[in-house]
Amino acid sequence: MKVPALPVIDRVLFTEEQVQRRIREVAGEISDRYRDGNLKMIGVLKGSVFFLTALARELTIPVKVDFLSISPFSNHTRAPGVVRISKDLDESIEGEDVLLVEDIVDTGFTARYLLQTLAGRGPNSIALCTMLDRPARRIVPLKIDFKCFEIPDRFIIGCGLDYKQLYRNLNFLAVLKPD
Amino acid sequence: MAVVTVSGQPGCRTGEVARLAAQRLGFTHLGAERLDALLAEEFGPVVERAARTWPDMAASILLRLATTQHLVVGVDGAEEVFRGFPALLRVRVVAPANRRTGNLMLDDGLNRVEARRALAERDRESAALRKARFGRSTAAPESFDLVLNAATIDSAHMAELIAQAAGQQGLLEHGFLSPAAEAQLQFQIRLRLARHGIQPHGRAALPKVQFGHPSEEIFANLLDFYRIPWEYEPRSFPIAWDENGNVIESFTPDFYLPESNLYVELTTMKQSLVTRKNRKIRLLREIYPHVNIQVFYQKDIMDLVMKYGLAPQAQPQP
Repeated sequence: MKVPALPVIDRVLFTEEQVQRRIREVAGEISDRYRDGNLKMIGVLKGSVFFLTALARELTIPVKVDFLSISPFSNHTRAPGVVRISKDLDESIEGEDVLLVEDIVDTGFTARYLLQTLAGRGPNSIALCTMLDRPARRIVPLKIDFKCFEIPDRFIIGCGLDYKQLYRNLNFLAVLKPD
Repeated sequence: MAVVTVSGQPGCRTGEVARLAAQRLGFTHLGAERLDALLAEEFGPVVERAARTWPDMAASILLRLATTQHLVVGVDGAEEVFRGFPALLRVRVVAPANRRTGNLMLDDGLNRVEARRALAERDRESAALRKARFGRSTAAPESFDLVLNAATIDSAHMAELIAQAAGQQGLLEHGFLSPAAEAQLQFQIRLRLARHGIQPHGRAALPKVQFGHPSEEIFANLLDFYRIPWEYEPRSFPIAWDENGNVIESFTPDFYLPESNLYVELTTMKQSLVTRKNRKIRLLREIYPHVNIQVFYQKDIMDLVMKYGLAPQAQPQP
Protein backbone atom coordinates (compact mmCIF):
# COMPACT_ATOMS: atom_id res chain seq x y z
CA MET A 1 0.00 0.00 0.00
CA LYS A 2 1.24 3.43 -0.84
CA VAL A 3 1.28 5.84 2.09
CA PRO A 4 0.66 9.49 1.21
CA ALA A 5 3.62 11.71 1.97
CA LEU A 6 2.09 13.99 4.60
CA PRO A 7 4.48 16.37 6.32
CA VAL A 8 2.85 15.72 9.72
CA ILE A 9 3.63 12.01 9.65
CA ASP A 10 6.73 10.84 11.47
CA ARG A 11 6.25 7.15 10.62
CA VAL A 12 3.53 4.63 9.91
CA LEU A 13 2.77 2.59 13.02
CA PHE A 14 0.34 0.08 11.49
CA THR A 15 -0.44 -0.22 7.79
CA GLU A 16 -3.94 -0.49 6.40
CA GLU A 17 -3.48 -4.24 5.95
CA GLN A 18 -2.30 -4.70 9.54
CA VAL A 19 -5.22 -2.67 10.86
CA GLN A 20 -7.76 -4.61 8.79
CA ARG A 21 -6.30 -7.98 9.81
CA ARG A 22 -6.37 -7.12 13.49
CA ILE A 23 -9.91 -5.73 13.32
CA ARG A 24 -11.01 -8.99 11.67
CA GLU A 25 -9.42 -10.99 14.53
CA VAL A 26 -11.06 -8.87 17.23
CA ALA A 27 -14.41 -9.04 15.42
CA GLY A 28 -14.06 -12.84 15.57
CA GLU A 29 -13.54 -12.70 19.34
CA ILE A 30 -16.57 -10.44 19.75
CA SER A 31 -18.74 -12.67 17.53
CA ASP A 32 -17.79 -15.68 19.66
CA ARG A 33 -18.47 -13.90 22.95
CA TYR A 34 -21.90 -12.57 21.92
CA ARG A 35 -23.08 -15.50 19.76
CA ASP A 36 -26.09 -16.06 22.01
CA GLY A 37 -26.40 -12.46 23.14
CA ASN A 38 -28.14 -9.27 22.22
CA LEU A 39 -25.21 -7.11 21.14
CA LYS A 40 -25.44 -3.36 20.89
CA MET A 41 -22.32 -1.43 19.94
CA ILE A 42 -22.14 2.11 21.25
CA GLY A 43 -19.69 4.45 19.57
CA VAL A 44 -18.31 7.62 21.09
CA LEU A 45 -18.41 10.46 18.59
CA LYS A 46 -16.41 11.38 16.68
CA GLY A 47 -13.24 9.33 16.85
CA SER A 48 -14.71 5.84 17.11
CA VAL A 49 -16.96 6.09 14.02
CA PHE A 50 -14.33 4.74 11.62
CA PHE A 51 -13.27 1.88 13.90
CA LEU A 52 -16.83 0.92 14.88
CA THR A 53 -17.91 0.78 11.23
CA ALA A 54 -14.96 -1.39 10.20
CA LEU A 55 -15.48 -3.66 13.22
CA ALA A 56 -19.22 -4.06 12.68
CA ARG A 57 -18.67 -5.08 9.05
CA GLU A 58 -16.48 -7.99 10.16
CA LEU A 59 -18.92 -9.34 12.78
CA THR A 60 -20.70 -12.60 11.99
CA ILE A 61 -23.61 -11.96 14.38
CA PRO A 62 -26.48 -9.45 14.28
CA VAL A 63 -25.66 -6.15 15.96
CA LYS A 64 -27.40 -2.90 16.83
CA VAL A 65 -25.49 0.36 16.68
CA ASP A 66 -25.96 3.63 18.54
CA PHE A 67 -23.83 6.70 19.23
CA LEU A 68 -23.30 9.27 21.92
CA SER A 69 -20.97 12.16 22.53
CA ILE A 70 -19.80 13.98 25.63
CA SER A 71 -19.23 17.63 26.35
CA PRO A 72 -15.69 18.80 25.68
CA PHE A 73 -13.43 20.06 28.44
CA SER A 74 -12.54 23.70 28.20
CA ASN A 75 -10.06 25.48 30.39
CA HIS A 76 -11.14 28.89 29.15
CA THR A 77 -13.54 29.45 32.00
CA ARG A 78 -12.53 29.61 35.66
CA ALA A 79 -14.88 26.75 36.58
CA PRO A 80 -14.76 24.21 33.76
CA GLY A 81 -17.88 22.40 35.03
CA VAL A 82 -18.24 18.65 34.80
CA VAL A 83 -18.45 16.16 31.99
CA ARG A 84 -21.94 15.38 30.68
CA ILE A 85 -23.47 13.58 27.71
CA SER A 86 -24.08 16.17 25.01
CA LYS A 87 -25.64 13.77 22.49
CA ASP A 88 -27.42 10.87 24.14
CA LEU A 89 -28.30 7.44 22.76
CA ASP A 90 -31.36 7.27 20.56
CA GLU A 91 -32.70 4.12 22.23
CA SER A 92 -32.71 2.45 25.65
CA ILE A 93 -30.01 -0.12 26.46
CA GLU A 94 -32.02 -1.92 29.13
CA GLY A 95 -31.45 -5.67 28.81
CA GLU A 96 -28.92 -5.27 25.98
CA ASP A 97 -25.34 -6.57 25.90
CA VAL A 98 -23.58 -3.25 25.53
CA LEU A 99 -20.15 -2.96 23.94
CA LEU A 100 -18.70 0.53 24.35
CA VAL A 101 -16.40 1.17 21.37
CA GLU A 102 -13.58 3.68 21.72
CA ASP A 103 -10.88 4.70 19.27
CA ILE A 104 -8.27 5.04 21.99
CA VAL A 105 -8.05 4.59 25.75
CA ASP A 106 -5.22 6.47 27.41
CA THR A 107 -5.93 8.26 30.71
CA GLY A 108 -9.20 6.32 30.98
CA PHE A 109 -11.17 9.43 32.02
CA THR A 110 -13.77 9.22 29.25
CA ALA A 111 -14.23 5.45 29.31
CA ARG A 112 -14.63 5.41 33.10
CA TYR A 113 -17.31 8.10 32.98
CA LEU A 114 -19.21 6.41 30.14
CA LEU A 115 -19.02 2.92 31.63
CA GLN A 116 -20.35 4.21 34.96
CA THR A 117 -23.10 6.17 33.28
CA LEU A 118 -24.21 3.36 30.95
CA ALA A 119 -24.05 0.75 33.72
CA GLY A 120 -26.71 2.73 35.56
CA ARG A 121 -29.19 2.24 32.70
CA GLY A 122 -29.84 -1.43 33.28
CA PRO A 123 -27.98 -3.24 30.48
CA ASN A 124 -27.67 -7.03 30.67
CA SER A 125 -23.88 -6.67 30.41
CA ILE A 126 -21.37 -3.99 29.55
CA ALA A 127 -17.89 -4.32 28.06
CA LEU A 128 -15.23 -2.09 26.57
CA CYS A 129 -13.56 -2.41 23.17
CA THR A 130 -10.86 -0.07 21.92
CA MET A 131 -8.82 0.11 18.76
CA LEU A 132 -5.79 1.48 20.61
CA ASP A 133 -4.70 1.08 24.21
CA ARG A 134 -2.00 3.40 25.53
CA PRO A 135 -1.39 2.06 29.06
CA ALA A 136 1.58 4.36 29.70
CA ARG A 137 -0.86 7.23 30.22
CA ARG A 138 -3.42 5.37 32.31
CA ILE A 139 -4.62 7.25 35.36
CA VAL A 140 -7.90 5.47 35.99
CA PRO A 141 -7.72 1.66 36.20
CA LEU A 142 -9.96 0.03 33.58
CA LYS A 143 -10.74 -3.47 32.35
CA ILE A 144 -10.48 -3.51 28.56
CA ASP A 145 -12.31 -6.53 27.14
CA PHE A 146 -11.22 -6.23 23.50
CA LYS A 147 -8.39 -4.26 21.95
CA CYS A 148 -6.62 -4.22 18.62
CA PHE A 149 -3.26 -2.69 19.45
CA GLU A 150 -1.28 -1.59 22.48
CA ILE A 151 0.67 1.47 21.42
CA PRO A 152 3.68 3.41 22.70
CA ASP A 153 3.48 6.82 24.29
CA ARG A 154 3.18 8.78 21.03
CA PHE A 155 0.54 10.99 19.42
CA ILE A 156 -1.27 8.87 16.84
CA ILE A 157 -3.41 9.92 13.86
CA GLY A 158 -5.55 8.01 11.38
CA CYS A 159 -8.48 5.55 11.51
CA GLY A 160 -10.59 8.14 13.34
CA LEU A 161 -7.85 9.73 15.42
CA ASP A 162 -7.30 13.38 14.65
CA TYR A 163 -4.87 16.22 15.03
CA LYS A 164 -6.79 19.51 15.05
CA GLN A 165 -9.77 17.63 13.56
CA LEU A 166 -7.72 16.49 10.54
CA TYR A 167 -6.41 13.09 9.38
CA ARG A 168 -9.27 11.00 10.81
CA ASN A 169 -9.81 9.59 7.32
CA LEU A 170 -6.34 8.04 6.94
CA ASN A 171 -6.82 4.28 6.62
CA PHE A 172 -3.59 3.50 8.48
CA LEU A 173 -2.21 4.53 11.89
CA ALA A 174 0.72 6.93 11.99
CA VAL A 175 2.84 8.72 14.58
CA LEU A 176 2.51 12.47 14.43
CA LYS A 177 5.77 14.27 13.81
CA PRO A 178 6.85 16.12 16.98
CA ASP A 179 7.15 19.89 16.68
CA MET B 1 -18.39 33.36 56.80
CA ALA B 2 -20.48 31.31 54.39
CA VAL B 3 -21.01 27.62 54.99
CA VAL B 4 -22.86 24.97 53.05
CA THR B 5 -23.35 21.66 54.82
CA VAL B 6 -24.17 18.57 52.79
CA SER B 7 -25.47 15.51 54.63
CA GLY B 8 -26.94 12.45 53.06
CA GLN B 9 -28.04 8.89 53.36
CA PRO B 10 -25.32 6.31 52.61
CA GLY B 11 -25.13 5.48 48.91
CA CYS B 12 -26.32 8.90 47.73
CA ARG B 13 -22.87 10.04 46.54
CA THR B 14 -23.07 12.91 49.00
CA GLY B 15 -19.30 13.41 48.91
CA GLU B 16 -19.37 13.93 45.15
CA VAL B 17 -22.25 16.40 45.46
CA ALA B 18 -20.36 18.38 48.11
CA ARG B 19 -17.16 18.41 46.06
CA LEU B 20 -18.92 19.57 42.90
CA ALA B 21 -20.87 22.23 44.82
CA ALA B 22 -17.61 23.56 46.29
CA GLN B 23 -16.13 23.68 42.81
CA ARG B 24 -19.12 25.61 41.48
CA LEU B 25 -19.12 28.06 44.38
CA GLY B 26 -15.35 28.47 44.61
CA PHE B 27 -15.54 27.38 48.29
CA THR B 28 -13.16 25.05 50.12
CA HIS B 29 -14.44 21.48 50.28
CA LEU B 30 -14.01 19.55 53.49
CA GLY B 31 -15.02 15.88 53.53
CA ALA B 32 -15.24 13.45 56.44
CA GLU B 33 -11.75 11.99 55.98
CA ARG B 34 -10.10 15.39 55.84
CA LEU B 35 -11.99 16.58 58.89
CA ASP B 36 -10.98 13.43 60.79
CA ALA B 37 -7.34 14.12 59.91
CA LEU B 38 -7.64 17.72 61.14
CA LEU B 39 -9.29 16.56 64.37
CA ALA B 40 -6.44 14.14 64.99
CA GLU B 41 -3.89 16.88 64.27
CA GLU B 42 -5.57 19.34 66.64
CA PHE B 43 -6.70 17.07 69.47
CA GLY B 44 -4.16 14.27 69.31
CA PRO B 45 -3.99 10.90 67.67
CA VAL B 46 -6.81 9.38 69.73
CA VAL B 47 -9.99 11.15 68.74
CA GLU B 48 -13.19 9.39 69.63
CA ARG B 49 -15.16 9.77 66.40
CA ALA B 50 -18.46 8.92 68.03
CA ALA B 51 -18.11 11.07 71.16
CA ARG B 52 -20.61 13.66 72.32
CA THR B 53 -17.75 16.15 72.25
CA TRP B 54 -17.28 15.66 68.50
CA PRO B 55 -19.56 18.60 67.53
CA ASP B 56 -17.55 21.03 69.66
CA MET B 57 -14.21 19.69 68.45
CA ALA B 58 -15.35 19.92 64.83
CA ALA B 59 -16.80 23.39 65.37
CA SER B 60 -13.53 24.59 66.86
CA ILE B 61 -11.64 23.67 63.71
CA LEU B 62 -14.30 24.71 61.22
CA LEU B 63 -14.75 28.14 62.80
CA ARG B 64 -11.03 28.82 62.52
CA LEU B 65 -11.04 27.78 58.86
CA ALA B 66 -14.03 30.05 58.30
CA THR B 67 -11.92 33.09 59.15
CA THR B 68 -10.03 32.69 55.88
CA GLN B 69 -12.34 30.77 53.56
CA HIS B 70 -15.91 29.85 52.77
CA LEU B 71 -16.68 26.18 53.27
CA VAL B 72 -18.68 23.32 51.87
CA VAL B 73 -18.69 20.69 54.60
CA GLY B 74 -19.61 17.27 53.24
CA VAL B 75 -19.84 15.52 56.59
CA ASP B 76 -22.96 13.80 57.85
CA GLY B 77 -24.38 15.80 60.76
CA ALA B 78 -22.44 18.98 59.97
CA GLU B 79 -25.72 20.91 59.93
CA GLU B 80 -25.89 20.38 63.71
CA VAL B 81 -22.42 21.87 64.23
CA PHE B 82 -23.42 25.24 62.73
CA ARG B 83 -26.89 25.47 64.26
CA GLY B 84 -27.94 29.12 64.61
CA PHE B 85 -25.22 30.56 62.39
CA PRO B 86 -26.09 33.12 59.72
CA ALA B 87 -25.00 32.58 56.09
CA LEU B 88 -25.64 28.89 56.33
CA LEU B 89 -27.24 26.54 53.79
CA ARG B 90 -28.02 23.06 55.06
CA VAL B 91 -28.55 20.44 52.38
CA ARG B 92 -29.78 16.87 52.70
CA VAL B 93 -29.45 14.28 49.92
CA VAL B 94 -31.86 11.34 49.98
CA ALA B 95 -32.79 8.49 47.64
CA PRO B 96 -34.83 5.28 47.71
CA ALA B 97 -32.98 2.15 48.81
CA ASN B 98 -32.99 0.74 45.27
CA ARG B 99 -31.11 3.73 43.89
CA ARG B 100 -28.64 3.71 46.76
CA THR B 101 -28.05 -0.01 46.25
CA GLY B 102 -27.44 0.62 42.55
CA ASN B 103 -24.90 3.34 43.34
CA LEU B 104 -22.98 1.01 45.66
CA MET B 105 -22.97 -1.67 42.94
CA LEU B 106 -21.39 0.76 40.50
CA ASP B 107 -19.05 2.59 42.85
CA ASP B 108 -17.77 -0.38 44.84
CA GLY B 109 -18.05 -3.09 42.16
CA LEU B 110 -20.49 -5.17 44.23
CA ASN B 111 -23.23 -7.49 43.07
CA ARG B 112 -26.80 -6.68 44.13
CA VAL B 113 -26.84 -8.98 47.16
CA GLU B 114 -23.50 -7.64 48.44
CA ALA B 115 -24.59 -4.06 47.81
CA ARG B 116 -27.85 -4.54 49.77
CA ARG B 117 -25.89 -5.98 52.67
CA ALA B 118 -23.30 -3.17 52.53
CA LEU B 119 -26.02 -0.54 52.43
CA ALA B 120 -27.80 -2.00 55.47
CA GLU B 121 -24.49 -2.01 57.34
CA ARG B 122 -23.72 1.60 56.38
CA ASP B 123 -27.23 2.69 57.37
CA ARG B 124 -26.69 1.09 60.79
CA GLU B 125 -23.28 2.75 61.22
CA SER B 126 -24.60 6.13 60.15
CA ALA B 127 -27.52 5.94 62.61
CA ALA B 128 -25.21 4.86 65.44
CA LEU B 129 -22.78 7.71 64.73
CA ARG B 130 -25.57 10.31 64.72
CA LYS B 131 -27.00 8.92 67.94
CA ALA B 132 -23.60 9.08 69.66
CA ARG B 133 -22.77 12.56 68.44
CA PHE B 134 -26.12 14.35 68.48
CA GLY B 135 -28.38 12.23 70.66
CA ARG B 136 -30.72 11.04 67.90
CA SER B 137 -30.17 8.45 65.22
CA THR B 138 -32.04 10.19 62.42
CA ALA B 139 -31.70 13.61 60.83
CA ALA B 140 -34.66 15.86 61.65
CA PRO B 141 -36.22 17.15 58.40
CA GLU B 142 -36.54 20.67 59.81
CA SER B 143 -32.75 20.79 60.25
CA PHE B 144 -32.37 21.36 56.48
CA ASP B 145 -33.02 24.21 54.10
CA LEU B 146 -32.86 22.09 50.95
CA VAL B 147 -33.60 18.40 50.41
CA LEU B 148 -32.58 16.80 47.11
CA ASN B 149 -33.59 13.44 45.69
CA ALA B 150 -30.65 11.58 44.13
CA ALA B 151 -33.06 9.22 42.38
CA THR B 152 -34.13 11.91 39.97
CA ILE B 153 -31.29 14.45 40.02
CA ASP B 154 -27.67 13.59 39.27
CA SER B 155 -24.72 14.90 41.28
CA ALA B 156 -23.78 17.69 38.85
CA HIS B 157 -27.36 18.97 38.74
CA MET B 158 -27.62 18.85 42.53
CA ALA B 159 -24.40 20.87 42.80
CA GLU B 160 -25.88 23.43 40.44
CA LEU B 161 -29.07 23.68 42.52
CA ILE B 162 -27.02 24.10 45.70
CA ALA B 163 -24.98 26.88 44.09
CA GLN B 164 -28.17 28.63 42.98
CA ALA B 165 -29.71 28.31 46.45
CA ALA B 166 -26.52 29.63 48.04
CA GLY B 167 -26.61 32.60 45.68
CA GLN B 168 -30.27 33.33 46.39
CA GLN B 169 -29.67 33.20 50.14
CA GLY B 170 -26.93 35.78 49.73
CA LEU B 171 -24.16 33.49 50.96
CA LEU B 172 -21.77 34.71 48.30
CA GLU B 173 -21.94 38.27 49.63
CA HIS B 174 -20.82 37.38 53.15
CA GLY B 175 -17.32 38.10 54.39
CA PHE B 176 -15.22 35.67 56.37
CA LEU B 177 -15.75 35.21 60.10
CA SER B 178 -13.94 38.00 61.94
CA PRO B 179 -11.06 36.95 64.21
CA ALA B 180 -12.78 38.66 67.17
CA ALA B 181 -16.00 36.68 66.66
CA GLU B 182 -14.01 33.50 66.20
CA ALA B 183 -12.07 34.13 69.43
CA GLN B 184 -15.29 34.63 71.37
CA LEU B 185 -16.83 31.43 70.00
CA GLN B 186 -13.62 29.49 70.51
CA PHE B 187 -13.53 30.54 74.15
CA GLN B 188 -16.98 29.08 74.79
CA ILE B 189 -16.18 25.89 72.89
CA ARG B 190 -12.84 25.36 74.61
CA LEU B 191 -14.52 25.88 77.97
CA ARG B 192 -17.03 23.12 77.19
CA LEU B 193 -14.28 20.80 75.94
CA ALA B 194 -12.17 21.47 79.04
CA ARG B 195 -15.01 20.11 81.17
CA HIS B 196 -14.43 16.80 79.39
CA GLY B 197 -10.69 17.07 79.88
CA ILE B 198 -10.07 17.79 76.20
CA GLN B 199 -7.40 20.28 75.28
CA PRO B 200 -5.94 21.02 71.86
CA HIS B 201 -2.81 19.09 71.10
CA GLY B 202 -1.81 21.16 68.08
CA ARG B 203 -3.26 23.71 65.70
CA ALA B 204 -4.67 22.12 62.57
CA ALA B 205 -4.64 24.20 59.43
CA LEU B 206 -5.91 23.59 55.95
CA PRO B 207 -3.35 24.83 53.45
CA LYS B 208 -4.96 26.56 50.51
CA VAL B 209 -4.04 24.98 47.23
CA GLN B 210 -1.45 27.08 45.50
CA PHE B 211 -0.30 25.41 42.36
CA GLY B 212 3.36 25.61 41.54
CA HIS B 213 2.77 25.81 37.80
CA PRO B 214 -0.18 26.62 35.48
CA SER B 215 -0.09 23.08 34.06
CA GLU B 216 -0.94 21.74 37.53
CA GLU B 217 -4.03 23.92 37.70
CA ILE B 218 -5.08 22.75 34.23
CA PHE B 219 -4.60 19.14 35.29
CA ALA B 220 -6.65 19.76 38.47
CA ASN B 221 -9.42 21.28 36.33
CA LEU B 222 -9.32 18.23 34.06
CA LEU B 223 -9.71 15.91 37.07
CA ASP B 224 -12.59 18.02 38.37
CA PHE B 225 -14.22 17.88 34.95
CA TYR B 226 -14.18 14.08 35.00
CA ARG B 227 -15.28 14.03 38.68
CA ILE B 228 -12.09 12.39 39.86
CA PRO B 229 -11.21 13.28 43.48
CA TRP B 230 -7.66 14.54 43.99
CA GLU B 231 -5.34 15.96 46.62
CA TYR B 232 -2.50 18.34 45.89
CA GLU B 233 0.95 17.49 47.28
CA PRO B 234 -0.50 15.60 50.28
CA ARG B 235 2.66 13.68 51.18
CA SER B 236 6.44 13.98 51.01
CA PHE B 237 8.52 10.82 50.73
CA PRO B 238 12.03 10.91 52.26
CA ILE B 239 14.46 9.46 49.69
CA ALA B 240 17.89 10.19 51.17
CA TRP B 241 19.30 10.29 54.71
CA ASP B 242 22.62 11.33 56.23
CA GLU B 243 24.73 9.02 58.41
CA ASN B 244 22.71 10.08 61.50
CA GLY B 245 19.44 9.12 59.89
CA ASN B 246 18.31 12.68 59.21
CA VAL B 247 16.33 13.19 56.04
CA ILE B 248 18.37 15.18 53.54
CA GLU B 249 16.20 14.77 50.47
CA SER B 250 12.49 14.23 49.91
CA PHE B 251 10.18 13.94 46.96
CA THR B 252 6.64 15.34 46.90
CA PRO B 253 4.48 14.15 43.99
CA ASP B 254 2.09 16.79 42.68
CA PHE B 255 -1.20 14.90 42.97
CA TYR B 256 -2.71 11.96 44.79
CA LEU B 257 -5.84 10.31 43.37
CA PRO B 258 -7.42 8.34 46.25
CA GLU B 259 -9.85 6.39 44.02
CA SER B 260 -6.95 4.96 41.99
CA ASN B 261 -4.44 5.00 44.87
CA LEU B 262 -2.12 6.72 42.41
CA TYR B 263 0.33 9.59 42.72
CA VAL B 264 0.82 11.76 39.64
CA GLU B 265 3.87 13.87 38.97
CA LEU B 266 3.77 16.50 36.23
CA THR B 267 6.99 17.77 34.82
CA THR B 268 7.00 20.48 32.22
CA MET B 269 10.75 20.71 32.01
CA LYS B 270 12.40 19.85 28.73
CA GLN B 271 13.22 16.16 28.38
CA SER B 272 16.94 16.86 28.55
CA LEU B 273 16.55 18.55 31.94
CA VAL B 274 14.52 15.91 33.73
CA THR B 275 17.42 13.65 34.71
CA ARG B 276 17.47 14.88 38.31
CA LYS B 277 13.73 14.42 38.73
CA ASN B 278 13.93 10.96 37.12
CA ARG B 279 16.54 10.00 39.70
CA LYS B 280 14.20 11.04 42.51
CA ILE B 281 11.34 9.06 40.99
CA ARG B 282 13.56 6.01 40.57
CA LEU B 283 14.60 6.26 44.24
CA LEU B 284 10.97 6.65 45.29
CA ARG B 285 10.03 3.49 43.40
CA GLU B 286 12.94 1.57 44.93
CA ILE B 287 12.33 2.67 48.53
CA TYR B 288 8.52 2.61 48.37
CA PRO B 289 7.67 -0.20 45.93
CA HIS B 290 4.04 -0.23 47.09
CA VAL B 291 3.55 3.40 46.00
CA ASN B 292 2.04 3.79 42.54
CA ILE B 293 3.25 6.84 40.67
CA GLN B 294 2.53 8.00 37.15
CA VAL B 295 4.83 10.60 35.59
CA PHE B 296 3.60 12.98 32.92
CA TYR B 297 6.43 14.57 30.98
CA GLN B 298 6.26 17.72 28.90
CA LYS B 299 5.31 15.84 25.73
CA ASP B 300 2.54 13.95 27.58
CA ILE B 301 1.13 17.21 28.87
CA MET B 302 1.34 18.76 25.42
CA ASP B 303 -0.51 15.72 24.04
CA LEU B 304 -3.22 16.23 26.65
CA VAL B 305 -3.29 19.88 25.68
CA MET B 306 -3.84 18.88 22.06
CA LYS B 307 -6.33 16.15 22.86
CA TYR B 308 -8.52 18.15 25.20
CA GLY B 309 -7.95 21.51 23.53
CA LEU B 310 -6.72 23.01 26.76
CA ALA B 311 -5.78 26.63 26.83
CA PRO B 312 -3.87 28.66 27.67
CA GLN B 313 -0.89 26.51 26.83
CA ALA B 314 1.32 25.76 29.77
CA GLN B 315 4.79 27.25 29.55
CA PRO B 316 7.80 25.06 30.27
CA GLN B 317 9.39 25.53 33.67
CA PRO B 318 12.86 27.00 33.70
